[in-house]
Amino acid sequence: MAQSFLEVKNLRKEFGGLTATNDVSFSMGRNEIIGLIGPNGAGKTTLLRLIAGILKPTSGSISFKGKNITGSKAWDIVNMGVASTFQNMRPFRRLPIVANVMVSCLSPRSMRGGEWVKKVEAKAMDALEFAGISDVALEKASTLSQGDLKRLEVARAVATDPELLILDEPFGGLSPAETDLMAKSVARLHRGGRFGRLHSEGPAMIIIEHKLQQLMKIVDRIIVLNFGTILADGAPDVVVNDPKVIEAYLGDGGTSCS
Amino acid sequence: MRIVVAYTRRMLKILRSEVLVLPSRVAVLVFVIAILALPLVTQDYYILRIMILTSIFAILAASWDLLSGFTGQMNFGHALFFGVSAYVTALLNLNLGFPPYFSIPLGAMGAVLTGLIVGIPCLRLKGSYLALTTLAFPIILMGIVFAIPGITGGELGLSGLTKLTGSRVNDYYVTSILMLVLGGIMWKITDSNTGIILHAIREDEVAARAAGINTTRYKLLAFCLSGFFAGIAGGLYAHFMRLAGPSTLEIGLSFQVIIWSVFGGMVSIYGPIAGVYILNPFMEVLRVILDNFPSLPEMRMFIFAALVLLTLRFMPEGLIPWLRDKVETECPRCKVRNVAFRRSCRICNAAMT
Ligand SMILES: Nc1ncnc2c1ncn2[C@@H]1O[C@H](COP(=O)(O)OP(=O)(O)OP(=O)(O)O)[C@@H](O)[C@H]1O
Ligand SMILES: [Mg+2]
Repeated sequence: MAQSFLEVKNLRKEFGGLTATNDVSFSMGRNEIIGLIGPNGAGKTTLLRLIAGILKPTSGSISFKGKNITGSKAWDIVNMGVASTFQNMRPFRRLPIVANVMVSCLSPRSMRGGEWVKKVEAKAMDALEFAGISDVALEKASTLSQGDLKRLEVARAVATDPELLILDEPFGGLSPAETDLMAKSVARLHRGGRFGRLHSEGPAMIIIEHKLQQLMKIVDRIIVLNFGTILADGAPDVVVNDPKVIEAYLGDGGTSCS
Repeated sequence: MRIVVAYTRRMLKILRSEVLVLPSRVAVLVFVIAILALPLVTQDYYILRIMILTSIFAILAASWDLLSGFTGQMNFGHALFFGVSAYVTALLNLNLGFPPYFSIPLGAMGAVLTGLIVGIPCLRLKGSYLALTTLAFPIILMGIVFAIPGITGGELGLSGLTKLTGSRVNDYYVTSILMLVLGGIMWKITDSNTGIILHAIREDEVAARAAGINTTRYKLLAFCLSGFFAGIAGGLYAHFMRLAGPSTLEIGLSFQVIIWSVFGGMVSIYGPIAGVYILNPFMEVLRVILDNFPSLPEMRMFIFAALVLLTLRFMPEGLIPWLRDKVETECPRCKVRNVAFRRSCRICNAAMT
């Protein structure tokens, strides 16, 4: 049996009486971009945090490239190649933007590439350039707008040289024009290549988003989560026309679905 | 001869282009020169004694800043490191006859070990839990000290250690130069890549982990480094006072360290050092003055507390950062610091607003 790139099996997380993810199972290949959607409170962020090792699952397992990473330390998971962003942005507020990204560049994974990447500040600048906020590199993170904080999150994740990148609402707080730009950057990152000192292997991606229109353009598969369970999983146009999915979204208060 | 001239010229050039351009750098230079030149001005036994203790406490306060200021691990029992090292130093000196230059580093290693022992249970703790736990450790150790007076000397402590050096002026130079060197090393650590990681852990530990940083390792590193520098201070104290007693573990000392640091300005290394150099001699002067008015007891602590409260009310960042912001401004473009009266940045020429 070919081992899959990421394999999530019966993943369950309970907060007291509340089941945030209810036996979620799916697997993904090395080159996929998956869109993870679902109404508010569906358990998307919880699923991300479980994979990233920030939360420990109640039961179930996660394996990455054939290795069981269930319950591993968050930093070990990052150093194996799984990077993620925070939906509610968690910058190091009193540090300059560039120092924020330098922290990621100082992780063992990011430092593994010899002299070329040991110039952490230059590499951090390249990551900022990629995310489009290099012009404010020296400002304190506390002065950034919501949109720029989103981009800082992306820059920090990208700077760890991920093989799997999980983005939590990367378009949140961005204007339509900025959203387009971000979507383009993400698609470009997925294709891989070199951005200055930043060498992208073209990471697989899971993108959590509510802005379906833009999401549909870049993903090749969509997973719909509702009340902690997977409602649908498949090609984007099939999934959004699934009556179950439409109902879940309408039941949530009429959020339109494409 | 020519080499000397060339060298001097180079030094003068560096002095002019790097040091004299910023008031804070000039202040550091003046401070260093003043420290080194003091014995040329006075060799008064009592003044030197105060300045020796001040330099020892300055090392202690800076080491606290490394752990609590930079890494954000609020340590309310910093005297633990100081005391452990003082006792270890004393035991090694008294029982095995180790001279100060062996006993003090070994005492500091004892404090490093203590840093590990204390650091591990503190890894998962935050805020008031961390504060209470760190507060408890020196009290526990104090209990042990009193429980085995045969080894620790109990209430009286261990006395009769070898003198630090032969003379008071030499004592002064040893502690003061060590203060300058260790302070410089600590500042360098915080200014390095490691320093950025320590900052990040203070700002948001979970985010630091999500950036691939083994926060456990770095927090323990901070505990050990802080323990080492505090330990050197403790060892110097034991040899200078020729005594290691329970007072080195007291809560009062732990709090004093926090007050010095907060007053001078946390998260800077130089702030706590300046805090000690201002407050410690000031307290001594105050005592001398107040001794002439025996009708006013306990005024010293009152004045001290009022001063610290006022500082915090009007300069919440601490005295030194406040002063620094008065005389220097940051270039809006390249963020390099400039003398406040400059119209344009000395590096990028951007207009200073
Ligand atoms: N740390 C926590 N403690 C308790 N309950 C939590 C915690 N984190 C999430 N929850 C609950 O788990 C459920 C799923 O939350 P989650 O944040 O995963 O949803 P989401 O799909 O990301 O929603 P959104 O689209 O609003 O971001 C919610 O009901 C939430 O209140
Ligand atoms: Mg969410």
